[in-house]
Formats: sequence, structure tokens, C-alpha cells
Amino acid sequence: MPPSTFKTVEREKAFKHPSKTGHSYPILNEFVAPHLESFNALFPEGNDPGLLALGIKDIGKRVVFDGKGSTESGSRQASWGNRLSMWIDSISVSRPLVPEKDKAVKERKVFPSEARERLSSYRGKLQISLSWQVNDSTVRSTNKDCGSIPIMVRSKRCNIKETPSAELVQRHEEPEEFGGYFIVNGNERLIRYLIVPRRHHVIALIRPSFVNRGPAYTRFGVSIRCVRIDQTSVTNTLHYLSNGSAMMRFSWRKQEYVIPIMLILKALISASDKEIFEGIMMHDYENTFMMDRVELLLRSFKTYNLQTGTQCLEYLGDKFRVVLGQPEDWSNQMLGTWLIDTLILVHLPNPRDKFQLLLFMIRKLFALVSGDTCADNPDSPQHQEILLPGFLYGMIIKEKLAEALTQVRMNISMDVAREVSTVDFFDERYISKVLSKVSFDVGAKMSNFLATGNLVSQTGLDLQQASGFTIVAEKLNWQRYISHFRSVHRGAFFAELKTTTVRKLLPESWGFICPVHTPDGTPCGLLNHLSRSCRITTTTLAVDHIPALLFSRGMTQTHAAVLDGRNNVCVQLDGRVIGWASPPIAKRLATDLRAWKTQGLHKVPLDLEIGYVPASKGGQYPGLYLFSSAARMMRPVKYLPNGRPDSIGPFEQVYMEIACTPDEINPDVSTHVEENPTNFLSILANLTPFSDFNQSPRNIYQCQMGKQSMGVASTAIRHRTDNKMYDLQTGQTPVVRPVLHNTYGMDSFPTGTNAVVAVISYTGYDMEDAMILNKSAHERGFGYGSIYKSHIIDLKTERGASRGSAANLHFGMGRDIRRDDDIREVIHEDGLPLVGTRVAPGDCIATYIDDTTHRTVRHKYHSDEVAYVDTVRLLGNDTGDSELQKVHITLRIPRAPVIGDKFSSRHGQKGVCSQKWPAVDMPFSESGMQPDVIINPHAFPSRMTIGMLVESMAGKAGAMHGLAQDATPFTFSEEDTAIDYFGKQLRAAGYNYYGNEPMYSGITGEEFAADIYIGVVYYQRLRHMVLDKFQVRTTGPVDPVTRQPVKGRKRAGGIRFGEMERDALIAHGTAFLLQDRLMNCSDYSTAWVCKTCGSMITLGYDDLMTTTRSGSLSQGVGGPGGEYCRVCRAKAEEAKASPATDGSDIRLQVPSEYVLRSPKAGEMDIIAVPYVFRYLCAELASMGIAISLEVA
Amino acid sequence: MSNPRVRIRNVQHDRVNFVLEGVDIGFANSLRRVVMADIPTVAIDIVEIETNTTVLADEFIAHRLGMIPLISTNCDEGMRYTRDCTCLSNCKYCSVVLYLDVSCQEGGTMDITSDHLQVVGYNSGYRFTSGPAYSDPASDGGEELSKRGDGFGNPVGKDDDSVPPVLITKIRKGQGLKLKCVARKGIAKEHAKWSPCSAVSFEYDPHNKLRHTSYWFESDERAEWPLSENAKEEEPPRDDMPFDFNAKPEKFYFEVETTGALSPKEVIMKVTTNSG
Repeated sequence: MPPSTFKTVEREKAFKHPSKTGHSYPILNEFVAPHLESFNALFPEGNDPGLLALGIKDIGKRVVFDGKGSTESGSRQASWGNRLSMWIDSISVSRPLVPEKDKAVKERKVFPSEARERLSSYRGKLQISLSWQVNDSTVRSTNKDCGSIPIMVRSKRCNIKETPSAELVQRHEEPEEFGGYFIVNGNERLIRYLIVPRRHHVIALIRPSFVNRGPAYTRFGVSIRCVRIDQTSVTNTLHYLSNGSAMMRFSWRKQEYVIPIMLILKALISASDKEIFEGIMMHDYENTFMMDRVELLLRSFKTYNLQTGTQCLEYLGDKFRVVLGQPEDWSNQMLGTWLIDTLILVHLPNPRDKFQLLLFMIRKLFALVSGDTCADNPDSPQHQEILLPGFLYGMIIKEKLAEALTQVRMNISMDVAREVSTVDFFDERYISKVLSKVSFDVGAKMSNFLATGNLVSQTGLDLQQASGFTIVAEKLNWQRYISHFRSVHRGAFFAELKTTTVRKLLPESWGFICPVHTPDGTPCGLLNHLSRSCRITTTTLAVDHIPALLFSRGMTQTHAAVLDGRNNVCVQLDGRVIGWASPPIAKRLATDLRAWKTQGLHKVPLDLEIGYVPASKGGQYPGLYLFSSAARMMRPVKYLPNGRPDSIGPFEQVYMEIACTPDEINPDVSTHVEENPTNFLSILANLTPFSDFNQSPRNIYQCQMGKQSMGVASTAIRHRTDNKMYDLQTGQTPVVRPVLHNTYGMDSFPTGTNAVVAVISYTGYDMEDAMILNKSAHERGFGYGSIYKSHIIDLKTERGASRGSAANLHFGMGRDIRRDDDIREVIHEDGLPLVGTRVAPGDCIATYIDDTTHRTVRHKYHSDEVAYVDTVRLLGNDTGDSELQKVHITLRIPRAPVIGDKFSSRHGQKGVCSQKWPAVDMPFSESGMQPDVIINPHAFPSRMTIGMLVESMAGKAGAMHGLAQDATPFTFSEEDTAIDYFGKQLRAAGYNYYGNEPMYSGITGEEFAADIYIGVVYYQRLRHMVLDKFQVRTTGPVDPVTRQPVKGRKRAGGIRFGEMERDALIAHGTAFLLQDRLMNCSDYSTAWVCKTCGSMITLGYDDLMTTTRSGSLSQGVGGPGGEYCRVCRAKAEEAKASPATDGSDIRLQVPSEYVLRSPKAGEMDIIAVPYVFRYLCAELASMGIAISLEVA
Repeated sequence: MSNPRVRIRNVQHDRVNFVLEGVDIGFANSLRRVVMADIPTVAIDIVEIETNTTVLADEFIAHRLGMIPLISTNCDEGMRYTRDCTCLSNCKYCSVVLYLDVSCQEGGTMDITSDHLQVVGYNSGYRFTSGPAYSDPASDGGEELSKRGDGFGNPVGKDDDSVPPVLITKIRKGQGLKLKCVARKGIAKEHAKWSPCSAVSFEYDPHNKLRHTSYWFESDERAEWPLSENAKEEEPPRDDMPFDFNAKPEKFYFEVETTGALSPKEVIMKVTTNSG
């Protein structure tokens, strides 16, 4: 058991004197490491040029000619004219700095808090050096500004990169700020981890949808995701065709292409048919299945009539010339080579390596088809890795730069095509003119990407989604905030999938993805969180010496032709075939490597993943697969043979025996043991006390509710500008908490209060999960919180603002506001509110003067809650040289708990406060203790949250003895029970061993017939409050068309009384109520209806003054108001002889009770109808359909 | 109610422990309820904040001020309820005005505590920016003022070094807090801050001879249920003793712990005048 102390003194010390050298909780920096390291990898470090530099190298050159390229001339070379090639030479990203324009500043660095408070972005300048060359003349280059790209906070390009706590506090950050996010328009946004297929590993797939790809396609295929050194990727899929051949599929600019595999095999190394035959067969001539396929494969290619590699390359080049967009003067062979280099197995630069791997893919494909091996599960973490934020960021920058470069080329070739006279490749002015025409503003595009999460891309970046890459790091409370950085999304594509297989919790994910921490509902199983100890590698390891090492230990060379495929398995290192070995040797190699890597021998890196797949009947394809690349999930365990720490990945874990605790080690079987039995849980799941006592769904709920609870969200709340922020006034450290609570420094950000909780059915107000709050506890501040809301006033967007650069609205109060005007009490001369001012809905919150009218305009506060002005921020522009046009006002809304607010314990037991019960009436114990909270015992049997009961006991004992109780799951066992441990503590404090106490009724003073379970439980106040939710309406706004009440709480609308509710009222026979709801309280209206023709839309009025006097109209004198039916009168006048026949299409009967007024004279009646009905009549009339009402 | 008897077992400055006998259960419980909720005390009820540059929000500080116990000796007679008073807002008869004006000029952290609260004497003529400290009483002649005890309205333990003051907030150089508090008379039914007690323990029948309750036990009731201290006062039941179903609880064990606003003696004595 760890020392049971709250470490109050230590914490206070750390708060008073933040560390000047580092952090108090370095673990917080560890868990965002993948974000930061992947971002840092973009920039040069030592000999590493950085991913951006590698990327621009990969972009290559763009070539354009000033000739038109004539086909009629025999010699191709001459007709193209001058050859201009352009490329990006170098790239650099600066730290966020104040623009050069501003000469006055001393500190040129911009710090994240400024970006946050000023609602701007935290970005650094991106610059490239663009080079070009005409023919073979000298290379010329120019620097090009590419705008400013958002910089990840605390990354290598950040101004608070390795700043210790003390300085961070000075910079208005959290003392434990760990970064990992971007600041865009004042919002903290981060790129979420995304699951992508594991790189450099061939996976076998069976997908029925493959059949639809074309004739002869089958559901079999093998696929590999290949990653270039700049971390951009290409997926190659090999399809099995029912005619025995195989097709290689890849995509280029979002368009998919398939090539016969033979074409590639030949093109790569000019392989002979025999070489290919032997390479695939590997002496396994008895395998007639494979033999047949290979034969078909070879035979089917004969139709192409291509023998040599060059022929194949030329063929490829010819076919792909149009789509590739490479220089026009390239030969077909060059194009073919380029195609294979850039799109086929791009992780292997060497054609022979590609050839070897293709052979392996074919063998695996045939093994899959024949049923020798099973399909791999792409939903299993075994075949997955993480797309890291920094890598994705780099990919996008690379693509945007490539696009810009292509744009330049397009512009020039357009000029050439249009024969613009200024085209002169040797003229630098022309080049710079073209360059200025093209937008190189990558910065704006990156800001847009981060702000929206939308990927605007021509290539699609080998990803399955185009949006949802970024999320806001909401600082609702600390738990929610940190979870963002550990969340892993399966991909937006899978969210729409109808099948639920992708959401399944697989045993393979043990230790990498938390089984508890996933939301319920739509994103369930798709949005996961990394386990606590799971790391993600961010660098490619140094493994060049591994092949040689393995040769020396018995691995044979890659000359597959002389090897027997039946008793040799493939050894691959990052998707490169490095050799072959018999299964026993391969197994020994794997054990040796593991021993070496754990002991640090032979420079084998610890993060090397050694996946030895043993031969099996119909299992996974055997082999020894080594992975050293970045973006893999890894986790620490202990290697039993030498007792040293090992780092394992999800691929190898499947073939390991890992004991959860040292007790569980089976000497014959176990290879590893967990360092900690709780390591498989995420940080949040680990924070649930005694979660091992709870029914598992309750722990899932708690992971959600922990993220919704009000708490201390930030210690630098004064410097935050979040739209909405919740703050709990008196948060406490929980008495009962797991050890990790301290490890992660959760005490800096409490999310609840220790409450005395009695489990008793006392008043009836605790039914159905309601809870009773002690009124006195409430008055003493239990659960008191406030909401901070941002109110931004930007004069540029205010009404009356001029479009031009000069501002015509200015903050201030003019002389037209009288000296004794009330608003002078709350608003200062400068037009800004005084801090502490109370603002009610409709109150003036700021004033500004309009230049055009010379009047003071009052800016009103429009919200339905009373608030207090907490802070007023004056926001300037980047250079700080403009007049004040924008202010940010933080408003504080006090939110004391009220009836209807939601509370929860840490065990998924949520409830609503139903009463604030007077303290004198509350039950009390012999010692005079009264519960703060009463909950109903019925909350327990069906939910089985025993953890909460244990917490109650532990909390009570902890409070009595002054102990911080350790609530780490899996510390107690059947022999050493928690009940006994805490029961003994309770007994020592003079209480009953089981946590019960006799209690007395507060009302009568009589002792209850039963003893009551009472203890201390940590309660969270959830952010769902009635004040944000209640909806009432008597009368209010109506829809202009239907005149029915509008919907929506914000618009003071009503709640829909729908069909089913209508059915209920009909069933009850409550006709009056029905009438009231659907008619009188909705769109009651009266309408005139003609007694004769029954029409509602033919009302006409006689001008009584004129008609009665003149008496010109003889018949059909209107009613008392002069109303008459126009149709009937017209008909009567038109043809007095023939009586009007009713030409209505629809006839309805109106009972007499609905006729409101039936004037004796005249032909119109007034009836009550819903307004929509009148509307319907009008609509139908427009369609030529008449409705006739028969008025009784 | 034949013959109520009180036997005081222990009195300290902030608590009293006594046994009440000769009353029925309803009476005993009403004593408990009155002690908790019906004894009037003085507590800060209105706070006018003039300057607040501390880290805490205005309402937070106001709430904290409200919770500070103020000396309320003979508050029952020494003060009027504001609602009963004929004055317009807060006169000397129905309120005590306190002010607090602290600012930190030096480096380091400074505590603002209840010791910084100063009662404004009604003769001092002290004026706040918003006006005079007290409003004019509508009529003279109340005897309230003379009935007040020493240091009435002052925070508990104000000039006593042995009592640690109540921390209100902490400030640093350049920050300050200036405010006016109006303390009023009230009872805890209205708000917990007016409660003179922090806890009242109440027990009868420690041996459960009356079988009002049934103790839940795993195997052995006596072994599992600890007896309270009060059990020594009563004869333990013998196993062969028949159950007397007519018996009524007779002895009630009380311990009243006060906040310091009133002495334990006064709390108990005032019950009689306030239980009507």
C-alpha cells in the first residue's frame, strides 16, 4: 500500500513555487509525446533533414517548355523549345514572431497565451527557396513566402518549447502545460490520432466487394500500405482473378488503376518467366494448386507480347503518359520507371526488393485462395497503426507546395499555349511575375485545415476520409481535456458503416486500447482511447545492421530460387524480404532478438517489434516480421526469461503469453508479465475508484460522466478565452482515489466534492435516481459553480461599420449620453463595462460612437441570464498599430445548484437533485452527522456498482483517520477483501464494521427501524443544468406561414404535441384537452365560409357606405359587414337562369357547433378552423383544387 | 412530561454534553431542532463590494463572509429582525455594519482573514462611498443596544490569538479588497450561516432495549456493533430479561457543538424562549 497522504503540503509548495527546472508531473508530457514528436519530426535535427525537407525532395521537378511540341517533325527534341524546370530547394519554418513591420517591440517572440487571448492564431512563417533552371544554364533561385502555418504548442518551433513550470506561469500558461495542440483563432485545436492500416505488412483480405471491381475479380486480395520516408503513403492491393492471374491496384490522384502483376514483375528487374515461376513456387512442386495458378499467370501474360523489362516499362509509360503529368520530353521508359518508383511498393527503393516482396505477396495471395492461411482482420490492432498528427500535417504541407508548383507550371504552359508575348524563360521578371500570380499561401490552407478539420486534397493522401481530422481541445474540465490527447478514432468512413464489426472490442487490443473508455451511442467503439501505458513510436529505428546480424545467426540469403518454400518462412524487416529461415531457426532468431533487445545487446533497439508467426493449419501466414518504423503502438511489459523491461507491439502480442500479475505466471507458458495490472485501462478509466468492483458498463458511463463534470478546468482561468467554461468553486481532492490520481496531478484540477451520503429511502423525493440535497450543505456552498462565457464585440462586424480600412465606429461614450444617465454607472467613458458590473438581459454592455451619425450606440447583452462582467480584454491586431476595434468580455454566470441539476458519483450513478431538504428534517446519526446527499437504495441492485459501496466505506474510514485511501483496482483479492480492510478501519474508528449506523428521523427524533448505510462518497456536479434546459411557453412567437408555435428553446418555442400524444388524448377521451392543445393553444383562427358554395377563399366585401345607398346590387346583399361570396355572386349575376352547380373537388362538413356566427342576413358564416387549414385551402386552390365546406 | 431533568456531563467553551431525562422523545427532538435551527444569531447578510482585485469572484467572497461566525451574545434580545424593524434599510437596532479594507503593498502572499473585519460603531460616523454605515432608525427608544454582549458583531476570536482566524482569501502585491458588510439577525431555517451549532449529537437507548431499531449483523450482533460511550450510563440488558413493549425512551444524550457565535450555555438556555 502506498503512503496514505494527500500530499497537501507538497502541492501547496509546488503551487507557490513552481519548478524552475522542469515539471512537477513529467508524466503529463509523456502522454502527448506522439503529438509533439511527430510534429518535431518535420524539422531538421542533427543529420536528419526533417520530413518537410524529405517531402519537398520527393515533390521533384516541374518542367515546362516554351515550344509547342510538334508531332509532325521527326526529331522530338528540337521542337519542344527551351526547357524550364522548377523545384523547391529548401524549406524553413520560423517560430511565431511579431511581424517585421512592428519595429517598436522588444520581445519579438509571440507566446501561446497571446494568441489565445487575442483570438488569433499561433503561427510561424513558412518559407521556401524556389529554384529553376532553363535548359542546362545556371540554377537560379528565389525565396518565396508561404504565409504562416499554425505551430504546435511546445513543439520544436514553439516559443515555450522546454520552458519549466515557473516560466510557464509567467507566460500565463498552466504550470503543467504540455502542449500538443494548435491555436487557431483563439481556439485550441488538435489533430486526432487516426487508425490506419499497419505499414509495410502484407495483409490478406477477403472482401465480397472486390468481386464488383470487374469481370473475373474474386473476393481475395492482399494489400500493403507502403510509406515513403517523408511519411506519405500509397496502398497497393493485389487482386486475385478467377482466371488465375492477379492484378495490382493503386490509386493516383484519387483515381484507381489496375495493372497485371506480371507486367510489374517483368518491368522491375526484367525477370524471365522461369525466374518468376521459381520465385513463386519455391520448389513446392507438389502444390498443384499453386502450380496451376502460376502457370495461368504466366500464360495469361503472353497475350501482351512483352518480353523484356524495357518493353514492359515502355508499355506502362505509354499507357500512363497522359495521367502522370510528367515532363513531355520524357521517354516512355522513363515514365514507366517513374510510375513504378512512385506508386508501387514505395517503401522499397530497390527494384529487386520490390520484386521479392511482390513474389511474397503472390505466394500469400495464393495461400489465402487455397485456404492454407486465413484472412487477416483489418479491424484488429494487430494490423493497425496510428496516423500521427505531425506526419499528417507534413503530408498536407507537402501536397500544398506540390500543388503550388504545379500551378506555376500550368500558368507558364498556359501562357505558352496562348502565345503571350512576354513569355521568356531567360527573363527573371517573367518568372517572378508568374510566381506572384500563383498563391503560395500554404499558411492559410493549413489554418483552414486545422480550423475546420477538412482536408482539401487532390490526392486524398491515401486516407479514407476528407473531414473530421481535427477537434477542439475543450477545457470543460481537466479529465476531458487530457482525454482528447489520448483519443484514437477509427475513421469517419467507419462511422457510416452499417456493420458493427469494426466497433467490436477485440482481445488483440488489450493493453493498447482501453476497453472501458469509449462513448456509448453512435461513436461507440470507433472513438477509443489509448491505454495508459501505450506509447506510439515516432522515429524510425536504426536497424541497418539487423539483416547481417540475422545472417550470422542462421538466416539464409534472399535467393528464393534455391530455397524450399515448404520448410522455410520469410523474414521481413519493415516490409523488405531480408531472408528466409526454417521455422525452428526463425523462432530462435525471434527469441535471440528479443533477448538482445531487452538486454541492449548488438544495438537491437528496444522498440523493434518482433512478430514471429508460427506455421499453422489455416492460421495467419507464417513468417518472421520485424517492424522498426514510426507510428506503431508499443507498450511496456516485463520479459520473464531475463526479468528486463520489454516493449511490445500489437502484432507480436498476439503470439505472447502475458501474465497480468506475477501470481498468474505459468512457468511453462508465460513469456511476459504486465508491469501493472491496471495498465490496460486508459487514464480516465484508471481514475474510477474500485472499478474492479463495478459492473463494467458503469465504468464506461463514469468515463463519460467524468468528462462532463464541473470542476476546476484551468489554473490560469484568467487568461483563457474559451466560449464557455465551467468552474466549480469548492472542488476537493477525493478521500478515496487510486494511486494514479497523484501520478497525473489530478489534485490541481478537482472535479467534485466529498459528500456524506446516506443510502436510505427517506421522503420519496429520492425515487427514480433523484437525490436529496441537504439544504444547509447547499447553503454552505456544496457544488456551487459558475460559468464563464465569452462575449466578443467586434466593431468591424457591427451594423454601420464601413467596409474600408478606416474605422468609423469607435468605442467610447459621447456627449449625447446625459451625465446622469444610468449607463454611466456601469459603462466608463471609454465605452467599456466596469469589471464586476451586473448585466441583465437587454442591458447595455458597451457603447461606441458612430462617425457617420455622431451618435453613441449602445451594444446590448442578449442572453436570458443575469451575468457579471469578469474581465474586459482589449484586442489589438498582429502589429499592434490599429485603433481598438475588438473587445473580449468574459461574463460570469453564477450557478448555484438548483432543483433539477445533475450530480453523479464516480460509478456511473447519476441523479437529479429533487429537493433541498432542511437540515433539521434530515436523518442524523448518533454523532450528529447529517448526510449531504440522500440516495435511494434502489439505485444499487440492478446496477451492481459495488465500487460505490466500497468507496463509501473507504471514504468514511479515510475521513475518520485522515487517510487518503488507495482505490486502485485489482489490489484486493478474495482472500484479502476490501470489505475487511476498510471494515477494520471503521471498527477502529468506533463504527460498525460494515459501514452501517443507526440513524434517527429528523422529524420525530425516533430511531429508524433499520440501520443505514452511510459514508463518504466523492460527488461530481455534471454540467447539465436545468437553467440551460428548461423550456416553458404560454404564448410566444409563431411561424409566419402556419401561425403555429415555433419550435426550439432558444426561440421561446413550444414542445411538439405530436401524433402519439394526440393518440393518447383521443384514447383517454379528453376531447376538450385535445381541442385546447391542437387548436386553441396552437393556430386557432376564424374564417368566413360561404353558406352556398362552401368556399373559404371567396370572401369579398361590399363597401357598405356606397352599396347600400346606391342599391345598385340587387341580389345577394352581403352580411352586416358587407361580406359576400364573390364566386356565388358572380355566378348568380352571370347566369341567373341556371342554378350554380357545385364544382368543388373536396367536400367537408362542418358541424353546427363550429359555426361561430351566422349572420341572419348575408350568405357567409364565420367558423373556427386551424389556420393551417386555411393555408391548405389556399395552397390547394393554387393547384386548381377547390375545397367546399358544408356548413350545417 | 413529568419532571424534566438535565445533567450536564461536560461543558467547554464551544460544546456542552448533557443528559436529558424525564421528557418524552418528541420534546427531546424538538430541543435538538430548536438548537439547530431556531436560535437567532448575527451573520453577514449583505456585502457591498467597492474594490475587489483578488482572485476570487465577488459572490464567492460574499459567501465566505456570510459563513464567518460573529459574536451574537444575547442576539435574541439585543437585536431586531430587519423585517420587524421600522427603519428603511439597516439601522443600529437591526444591523451591525462591518467593513474590510485590505490591500497588499509588499511582495509575497498575504492572508485576508476574519480578523480584518472591523465593526463600524454606530456613533463613529463612518461613511462609505455609497453612504453612511447605518440608516437612521425610524424611532428611538429600543433597549436592544444595551442588551448586547461584549464585542457583539465581531468575528469570533477576533482579538484572541489562541483562536486562528477564518481565512477569507489570499492576495498578492497590488491586490486589495474593500467592502462593507451588513450583518443581520436571522435563524438557520432561513440560511445555514445563522446556525449557532455545527453539530448536535443525539442518542437514546444505546443498548437498543426498546428495539426501535434492528441491527443488521452477519453472525453476532453484540460482537459486530460497537456500543457508544453513552451505553455506560445504562444497565446493559440481561439475556433473560423479557422485552418490555410498553417502555418509552427516558434518557437522551446530547452533545451540542457551537460555532462560537453563542456560548453553549446560551444556546441551550435560549431554547425555552425560542421554542414557541
